[in-house]
Amino acid sequence: MRWVKKGLVYIILSIAALLIFFPILYAFLISFMTGGELLQGNIFPERFHLENYQKAFDRLPLAHYLLNSLIISLSVMLGQLVVSAMAAYAFVFIPFKGRTLLFFIFISTMMIPWEATMIPNFMTIQKLDWINTYQGLTVPFFAIAFGTFLLRQHFKTIPKELHEASEVAGLSKFRFFIKVVLPYCKTSLVTLGAYGFLTTWNMYLWPLLATNNDSVRTVQIGLKQLQTQEMATEWGVVMAGVIVVIIPTLILLFLGQKQLQKGLAQGALK
Amino acid sequence: MKTNNKLLVLFAMMALLLIVTACSNSANGEETESTEKTDTTDASSSSQDDSTDNSTGKTEAVFWHAMSGAGQESLEQIVHNFNESQDKYTITPEFQGSYEEALTKFRSVGGTNDAPAIIQTFEVGTKYMIDSGFIQPVQTFIDEEGYDVSKLEKNILNYYTVDDKLYSMPFNSSTPVMLYNKDAFKEVGLDPEKAPQTFAEIKEAAEKLTKKNGGATERYGFSILNYGWFFEELVATQGGMYVNNENGRSDNATEATFNGEEGLRVFEMINDMNKAGTYGNFGSNWDDIRAAFQTGKTAMYLDSSAGVANTIETAPFDVGVAYIPYSEEAERHGVIIGGASLWMSKGINEEKQKAAWEFMKYLQTPESQAKWHVDTGYFAINPAAYEEDLVKEKWEKYPELKVTVEQLQATKPSPATQGALISVFPESRQQVVTSMENLLQGTDPQEALDRAAKETNRVMEQAARANQ
Amino acid sequence: MKSQVELNGMLDNVVKKKKGIWQQSLNWRTALLYLLPSLILFSVFLFYPMGKTLYLSFFLTDRQGEANVFVGLENYLYLLESEAFLKSIKATILFVLYTVPTGIIISLFLALLANEKLKGIGFFRTIFASTMGISVAASSVVWLFLFHPSVGFLNKIIASLGGQGVDWLLDPKWALLSVSITTIWMNIGFTFLIILGGIQNIDEHLYESAKIDGAGYFYQLRRITIPMLSPTLFFVITVSLINAFQTFGQVDILTQGGPSESTNLIVYSIYREAFVNYQFGTASAQSIFLFLCILVVTILQFKFGEKKVHYQ
Repeated sequence: MRWVKKGLVYIILSIAALLIFFPILYAFLISFMTGGELLQGNIFPERFHLENYQKAFDRLPLAHYLLNSLIISLSVMLGQLVVSAMAAYAFVFIPFKGRTLLFFIFISTMMIPWEATMIPNFMTIQKLDWINTYQGLTVPFFAIAFGTFLLRQHFKTIPKELHEASEVAGLSKFRFFIKVVLPYCKTSLVTLGAYGFLTTWNMYLWPLLATNNDSVRTVQIGLKQLQTQEMATEWGVVMAGVIVVIIPTLILLFLGQKQLQKGLAQGALK
Repeated sequence: MKTNNKLLVLFAMMALLLIVTACSNSANGEETESTEKTDTTDASSSSQDDSTDNSTGKTEAVFWHAMSGAGQESLEQIVHNFNESQDKYTITPEFQGSYEEALTKFRSVGGTNDAPAIIQTFEVGTKYMIDSGFIQPVQTFIDEEGYDVSKLEKNILNYYTVDDKLYSMPFNSSTPVMLYNKDAFKEVGLDPEKAPQTFAEIKEAAEKLTKKNGGATERYGFSILNYGWFFEELVATQGGMYVNNENGRSDNATEATFNGEEGLRVFEMINDMNKAGTYGNFGSNWDDIRAAFQTGKTAMYLDSSAGVANTIETAPFDVGVAYIPYSEEAERHGVIIGGASLWMSKGINEEKQKAAWEFMKYLQTPESQAKWHVDTGYFAINPAAYEEDLVKEKWEKYPELKVTVEQLQATKPSPATQGALISVFPESRQQVVTSMENLLQGTDPQEALDRAAKETNRVMEQAARANQ
Repeated sequence: MKSQVELNGMLDNVVKKKKGIWQQSLNWRTALLYLLPSLILFSVFLFYPMGKTLYLSFFLTDRQGEANVFVGLENYLYLLESEAFLKSIKATILFVLYTVPTGIIISLFLALLANEKLKGIGFFRTIFASTMGISVAASSVVWLFLFHPSVGFLNKIIASLGGQGVDWLLDPKWALLSVSITTIWMNIGFTFLIILGGIQNIDEHLYESAKIDGAGYFYQLRRITIPMLSPTLFFVITVSLINAFQTFGQVDILTQGGPSESTNLIVYSIYREAFVNYQFGTASAQSIFLFLCILVVTILQFKFGEKKVHYQ
């Protein structure tokens, strides 16, 4: 009976894994195909030629784009962690007048669709002379109400006694923040970090608006440059670009997943 | 007070973070920042005319374009050739996303020093650019220098000539053509050398070409991309106007007229075939309809002349190229040019304008045009390019390409084939697409068209009010 | 940001004055210091543009995008009776309904599966989390190809099973569903990982005592796992809702809002109004409308949702 159950779980796991991973696999296989092969709708390429990759790299400074994406995503991630943690701390541990109201104002910003603020923001960036700079692509995203909200939820689970004990022990507010609150809430910090990194990595419209040339552009724009409108798109090359673009994040994920999961699993027990 | 001390440290750290990002940026953006430097010198001393970069003594002009893929590759090579060909100017090509995205950006920098010297804008943005006040008509330079434009393709220049002034330099230009599967024609007993030419003939041929297998259609007879451009062309080739006031060329257009009889004929043809099951809908994506044709899912379709060579090359069967069809109740007038042109900014340093102008002239040389035509499939604006060996070789390989040029040259110049001028053209095109999609879902042709016309009228009216 | 000198000055003040209002407002000032970075950034990059958006929504804008003709509420009134806008709201609501519950249920299911203690489970976890590492642009391109009407893999499969191909992105009845499928797939990775983390956080003892009481798997699931998971689920639902309301990238690449505007989600509609039609006035009015929509949904969610959440 146990064996049957185990086998069944394995079968379901395998089917689910196949379904989820298939699109990635498919892109990988297509990236080796020539235009003609592609149209026949085969799944496996006749042979693994690397021409498409060569073309993708020839056409665009993909490595440079990747580096930019990495720098920008990491900066935004760090910025969000610092700014949100500070705000959340104030909301949970410092009782001040108007706290609820201010928190509500914070939360309300979560509802502002970024696209709606894009054009005025573009003009702001332009006035600051931040076009084509890393700060133009990162600083506007440092403050994120969602992060404050997430961390506040977790900070609230810190037992009152802990706070009281630390005050009795003469721990300053800042020390309490750094030494107790942050380690306690590692989980949420990891989650927020991952979230911040990914959303930044995904951005397309803003990096396009805020840059005029290749100096600080990101990979998502590169992907768009491989596709064409009126002329024929070379899908093999596009897929090669897709693979090049997703490999670094996938590797990061594979390497960091244990950490990420640990971070997510620990948390409250500490 | 320890708290606040620590807080200070944190603030300092944040400040540091900012500085670090700023520094790493300037290190990375070194090569490109020279553009900005020249810009700032312009602002302070444009009267002294020393916008030249000190180190090289060259004037740099920025060129915003929307070419991706193979087009970008070819464009960058041509720019490189220009930069090598002389030592006074440097053109820096910069990709700015789609035409819409590039134009949105231009709107906020237009008329300032941040504006690029050259910007590529799609044909439907022509009216907007003229009215924007951000641009310098190239006619100014043509007159100043006595540059001879008569050597350029007349039917292309017509589109960008308004009130006898050439506003922008034509660049990537294309027209629609009809491609058909010769093998399928033979299979069903149609003459592969004689393509159907009128709407009625198309319907008839489509009927024969459609192949059904049980409930499923294996091959449709005819398809059009759900893209407003093809509708505009099918109206124009019957001599129909898209908007009033001579297609907006004698005076600002105030009312859409594409829902008149010419437009209706187009919609009715699509509707009839759709109802009969001979019309294949492959969406609004260029690559999808091409793939459908190349895999034999549709036997005839309309494509851009820029895509012809590639389709012939990849299709596993013989491809025929023909003029776009017209209604038997009308006369054939020809086609409107599509694609994009290059605009010169106003209010930037004169030296930069000069650089831009030199580059535009360089683009029109037969060598550049030959390369451009062969690489991308867009027309050569200078017909002399067709005499270049490069082009001859290509044409020998793909004799069908000649048809695209012949169709363009056979076009009768008139406001209909000159193309409409509307400031809200992109939006109107969008509305027509929606109507085409509605039509395919069973909406009545006249009703579908009227809806698009009504929306077009509304946005035209709104734009007129907004810009009083 | 405040300069060092100013901050030092403030600190000095704190030291000197130990009593009075200054002392009483200590908490307030400390809080302000912690909140300052957020407040400054919000003001510059969210409140100011939002204010500008609100302002523009009462105007028609000229070619430079500047407010030109004051029209009062006309932009709003137009939206309310515009068929296209109503369609876009309907599509957005449907999209949220399609993606949020399904995505979370699938992720929950996968997380429960992946929580089984089996050999090689790490591999499966990695695979399930993998879509998290793929950007919207990249995954949309891949799915665009899967949905391809002529050579797409999905239709090939259907055809080989003897069925008739589906017009995934071309049929208004299917297009929104297809975009939803893509979106669910893209979101699975992140949601899965969060939920898995939440499940692993649940105290083992709870299960052990339940087992002693003889409770079955589903009883445990309903009485222990789901309630203990509620903070995580609340979080995941909030994120998914906000993301769903603000979906843009997939639509841009897969359908451009078509066919027959069936996938013209509201953010895409705003983009089109601003970038294609160059009417910031109506685009702004739509933005304000979207803002209000999300506001209402979030308030409702906090009101009814947070009550049900168990905090450990």
